[in-house]
Amino acid sequence: MSSAAQLKRLKPVYQCVVNNFLLVLAVPLAVAGVVSLARVGPEELLAKLQALRPVHVFLAVFLPAAAATLYLMMRPRAVYLVDYACFRTKASGRVPFGTFLEHAKLVTFIEGASIDERSVRFMTRLLERSGLGEETCLPPAHHYIPPFRNLEASREEVELVIFSAIDDLLAKTGVKPEAVDFLVVNCSLFAPVPSFADMIIHRYGMRSDVRNVHLSGMGCSAGLVSVGLARNFLQTAPRGSTALVVSTETITPNYYVGKERAMLLPNCLFRMGGAAALLSTSPAKARFRLSRVVRTLTGAQDGAYRCVYQEEDEEGHRGINLNKDLMTIAGDALKANITAIGPLVLPASEQLLFALSFIARRVFGSKGIKPYLPDFRMAFEHFCIHAGGRAVIDELQKSLNLSDEHVEASRMALHRFGNTSSSSLWYELAYIEAKGRMRKGDRVWMIGFGSGFKCNSAAWECIEPARDAQGPWAECISRYPVDIPDVLKH
Amino acid sequence: MAGSLVFRNHRLGLPEHRFLLRVIVRSGIGEHSYCPRNFVERREGAPTHQDALDEMDAFFDAAIADLLHRTGVAPGDVDVLVVNVCMFSPGPSLASRIVRRFGMREDVAAYNLSGMGCSAGLVSLDLARNALRARPASVIALVVSTESIAPHWYTGTDRSMMLGNCLFRCGGSAALLTNDPSLGRRAKMALHHLVRANIAADDEAHASAQKRDDGSGRAGISLSKDLPKAAARALTLNLRRLAPRVLPVTELARFAVRNLCKNLVLSRGHAKKTHVAAANKINFKAGVEHFCIHPGGTAVIEGVKASLDLDAYDVEPARMTLHRWGNTSASSLWYVLSYMEAKGRLKRGDRVLMLTFGSGFKCNSCVWEVKGCMADKGAWAECVDEYPPETMANPYMEKYSWLNDVQGDALLL
Repeated sequence: MSSAAQLKRLKPVYQCVVNNFLLVLAVPLAVAGVVSLARVGPEELLAKLQALRPVHVFLAVFLPAAAATLYLMMRPRAVYLVDYACFRTKASGRVPFGTFLEHAKLVTFIEGASIDERSVRFMTRLLERSGLGEETCLPPAHHYIPPFRNLEASREEVELVIFSAIDDLLAKTGVKPEAVDFLVVNCSLFAPVPSFADMIIHRYGMRSDVRNVHLSGMGCSAGLVSVGLARNFLQTAPRGSTALVVSTETITPNYYVGKERAMLLPNCLFRMGGAAALLSTSPAKARFRLSRVVRTLTGAQDGAYRCVYQEEDEEGHRGINLNKDLMTIAGDALKANITAIGPLVLPASEQLLFALSFIARRVFGSKGIKPYLPDFRMAFEHFCIHAGGRAVIDELQKSLNLSDEHVEASRMALHRFGNTSSSSLWYELAYIEAKGRMRKGDRVWMIGFGSGFKCNSAAWECIEPARDAQGPWAECISRYPVDIPDVLKH
Repeated sequence: MAGSLVFRNHRLGLPEHRFLLRVIVRSGIGEHSYCPRNFVERREGAPTHQDALDEMDAFFDAAIADLLHRTGVAPGDVDVLVVNVCMFSPGPSLASRIVRRFGMREDVAAYNLSGMGCSAGLVSLDLARNALRARPASVIALVVSTESIAPHWYTGTDRSMMLGNCLFRCGGSAALLTNDPSLGRRAKMALHHLVRANIAADDEAHASAQKRDDGSGRAGISLSKDLPKAAARALTLNLRRLAPRVLPVTELARFAVRNLCKNLVLSRGHAKKTHVAAANKINFKAGVEHFCIHPGGTAVIEGVKASLDLDAYDVEPARMTLHRWGNTSASSLWYVLSYMEAKGRLKRGDRVLMLTFGSGFKCNSCVWEVKGCMADKGAWAECVDEYPPETMANPYMEKYSWLNDVQGDALLL
């Protein structure tokens, strides 16, 4: 038998031993203890027990109880996800490739727009290779020629998306708006006055002491920033408090009408979408438990900071410039995030192997020994990777050594909804649940990437899976998964 | 300079110029407030994205670098960063921009708030305070508040939107907060209570300060006539929750008893309502020594002065800040506090009440206790000795009063 095959056979044994190390140590000790007690004899044992003074008994009971109580009190309070709801797109907002490209061609005739035939051909090629399907949606304002990009149209899109998501959520959970204690909203590229938080408080008549925050400009990973912030609020608030987290991206003001190639990509990828989630510190009716939120921001480096950058091109048209080095930078940010979250979620066996490989590389030089990639499939059953684009999902699948089934939720969310920015993770979770793959006790890893450059992770544990396939995938889940060719000729 | 800026807008007619003159003269803002570079370079009508970024960079380089240098805290020590800028949210966020500029750590918890109005400073404080409480170890938080004026000069003719041009000016603040006891010995103040009230549920209040299109495609912040009423309601709600935490039991008891008497008297119809109501105002001076009121405008300051029964000495810092710096939005409170510090008013053990109002409609308040020596002149270093000035009369009246004498409706310039 080759040594590799032998090692593979020994791996499960090794994992069993290391992951249950305390048990492996405790069992022989316990057996030895029982044997020595048996040897001592019942009369001597009774004599020893009678010699015990009350203070010994008291300490033996009180000290462990006190230590246990102190430990339980000092632990941060658990935060639960009561439920979540995603914006359900309407067929009338659909933008098949033909519609999108015809619209783009007509925009080239508009005065003031620099976009030209070459740009439209470039966008055609991008769309064909993007991994998007024919059912993604753009807001009503973008169906007009010229597309409306003003304040009123933007507000209408926001109201449509977030109010319908919140209506769904409140109906699902039966929670009244007056019961919400915290409200965190994130939308990267549109921050009107009054803020989205004020709009929600106004629409639903929330209390005047609801603590609300609107996070802006924080990119596609802002959804997890909002979840982390809501968790902070809940952990320092009275028990049973609830937080409403709303994530969306407003597409209306961000249609780029220039011809800079790096800035045309967002036109092709970003689509309408939004999600609302209710978090609480009360486990009643909770469906998931939030175990970890880990944030990594690599903005201190110039390259990382500039890789997704909103700016004006040479003709003064504003858009988002996506740098060619995006994948490398995303890879680096992911490595940094994995290094931070690994010790918190991986079983001891993987951490030990990683540590040994790290030491070996240091001692023997990094040329001869490949870095050990911890197997995150031992820590999580499901993976929600931000559907930033096909390349992002492929890159992550390779880096984390995941199977096609693990990344299926991300690929299908990209196909059906496009890149909905910070809410994409919720659409992916909805896919996994609509497919009936979620079981009690399953652990989910949400990974978001975004401008900054940030890589944020959240780890959830399922308490109760969804009972039905209601949600954004209700009408189309039976058609999925679909095979997405490399180049989709339309 | 504001005069020349106004005259450059050729869409304005004579009634609009007269309206602006009235507003500017009554605004309480003097001749030394600041505007961004693109206004000086006569490009206020066509601001670029880069202009707005340059305005932010100028502020970051000055204020944050100065703060970190004075306190001896390295950028790598900052654990939490909260940035609030109401009217500008680029991608990547301004929080990321600061992280890059100063080289902060990868695991810094950065939060970028936008759209939250003039009271966003206290929202950021709330967020930072929560972040400090939720973390087990000693944490340093940097809270940065500023406003983006460069892209927001309103070039239309809607009067409710021209008010913004007359009031908002450039300014910013950076504050370092910590829960580290070892740093606490050097701390200037300790934060005690923070109360937030948001009456966005009410239609009129929600629409009182709104960014919208004016009908001819120009966007601006529209301040409606219902704003003072909304402010008053939000203030009442806020103080109702703040008072029991801040005031001594004796004052609360006194107020309760007088209220009871007033209700009894009213129910018997013995005295006039107004007379009795005016006599019964809760006395915040029993629990607080200094008042940092958001200098949103003279009307705001006078309104709060009347509601809380303050005197000219109490509102002087707010009035002088409005005169020297204009309404710098969320950071204005810190200028007011800095005035008090520069004038040597803050003694150890004194309590300071910060009160702000903002779009939404929100009224946020917090109470600080002075812990350390506060004698730093800060932004007022070069001019505090000239304040209060002998006369607060606005020079625009003298310079532009001829507008009121012009006959007809049109103005050829």
